[in-house]
Amino acid sequence: MQSMEFPLVVFTVLSQAAIGLTMMRAVRTVSGTPDTDARKEWLMIAGLMALGLLGSLFHLGHPTGAPRALVHLGTAWLSREVLFAGLFMGVAAIAVLSAGVAAKSAPAWIGAALGLGLISSAGMTYAPPALPALNNALPAAFFLTSAVILGAGFGGWFASPERQPLMARIFTSALVVGLVLYLIAPCVWASGGTVMRMTGEAWFASGFYWAHIGILAACLAVIWKTKSIPVWLPFLALAGELIGRAGFFADTLHTAINMGGLY
Amino acid sequence: MKKQYAFLVDTELCIGCFTCAMACRNYYHQVEGVVWRQVYPLSEEIYPHRERAFLSLSCNHCENPECLNVCPVNAYTKREEDGVVVHHQEKCIGCGNCIRSCPYGAPKYNPEEKRAEKCSLCHERLDADLKPACVQACPTKALQLIDLATKQQTNQIQYPAGYPKMERLNPSTRFILPKMPKMVRR
Ligand code: SF4
Ligand code: SF4
Repeated sequence: MQSMEFPLVVFTVLSQAAIGLTMMRAVRTVSGTPDTDARKEWLMIAGLMALGLLGSLFHLGHPTGAPRALVHLGTAWLSREVLFAGLFMGVAAIAVLSAGVAAKSAPAWIGAALGLGLISSAGMTYAPPALPALNNALPAAFFLTSAVILGAGFGGWFASPERQPLMARIFTSALVVGLVLYLIAPCVWASGGTVMRMTGEAWFASGFYWAHIGILAACLAVIWKTKSIPVWLPFLALAGELIGRAGFFADTLHTAINMGGLY
Repeated sequence: MKKQYAFLVDTELCIGCFTCAMACRNYYHQVEGVVWRQVYPLSEEIYPHRERAFLSLSCNHCENPECLNVCPVNAYTKREEDGVVVHHQEKCIGCGNCIRSCPYGAPKYNPEEKRAEKCSLCHERLDADLKPACVQACPTKALQLIDLATKQQTNQIQYPAGYPKMERLNPSTRFILPKMPKMVRR
């Protein structure tokens, strides 16, 4: 087991929750009639993102150098991730200041687009050749799934009664996609090279992994029973994503651990 | 073609004595737990040996270094004149991205400095016409410094078993494989 990278868990999951909420807000603006208080929702989005960004600083040996992380946009996906995170934070802050009860759709769409930029660049950052199991589109897929699960879950708090079923449908679909992805990925790794196979085994042997799967399944069971998203359910989903992300960092093996052995 | 310095590891000559790794430590006095050059024993699946075989590895000074590409603050440079990939610790913010990304595990986290560090091929020594400390110390001449721009021996290979094959990075280290042991019928 490698490090579970607590600051990165906080940053990635909270920023994805903020992006998911923004995406769901954008989706709900399509049919016109505004939802409940827009400012409260933007406050939550901006708050989650700010907390995530603050958390990410604890990951740096020298947090005061964080602004310099923007200087290598040419090839470093981490620089691009920082750029998208900064722009998203800016849009969220402006939306908090300008949003009234009436919902405007532009900030939600701009925020959703920047959020997708952040998810893709984070997906690339955590998909280096040194982690063969993740050196593909999986990190971006995992991150997008988390964003939609958390966005639809917490989005239920802000959706008008007639849009509650829409949020519940999206939440359910994202849970199913998440479950399928997390169950299939380690099985596919079993047919890859040595380090990929070892990663699959490490995930299957990990408490983080099974706790995450268990929570996704429990959320699905609750929504199946209640046909709507209870107010407390998004917290359970959030706990699941945090635990799953800790496993993502802790249980994915690096090529260097098998140096001198077969690849 | 410009110079591209590289380590040549002759696994036939290497006796796994760790002198190269110790010479690096003696020269740079890294803090505890930080190792720039490591000697990796080859597993028996690769080399079914009575005697053992080893890969002595540090940074490979790749043609397209992943560390350099992923560093958000430009703390890495690749020297024009000889291809050495240098880490500039004063610029590093300790994000660990290079450590996660280099498939060869070359960059390490220094918990005292709170920044990354790695082998920069003793470039100050090179500039003074000296060999890297590890190369100079190797008692069997199993570890040598070569220039990939000049003609190579035909028995040098780039990807021995036990060493991650990363064609996009094009690592510069070259290897001479150990001869298989003779089977003696009893
Ligand atoms: S071996 Fe790793 S640290 Fe060295 S140049 Fe290649 S990618 Fe960079
Ligand atoms: S740890 Fe330092 S050198 Fe490595 S990627 Fe981060 S800032 Fe760059």
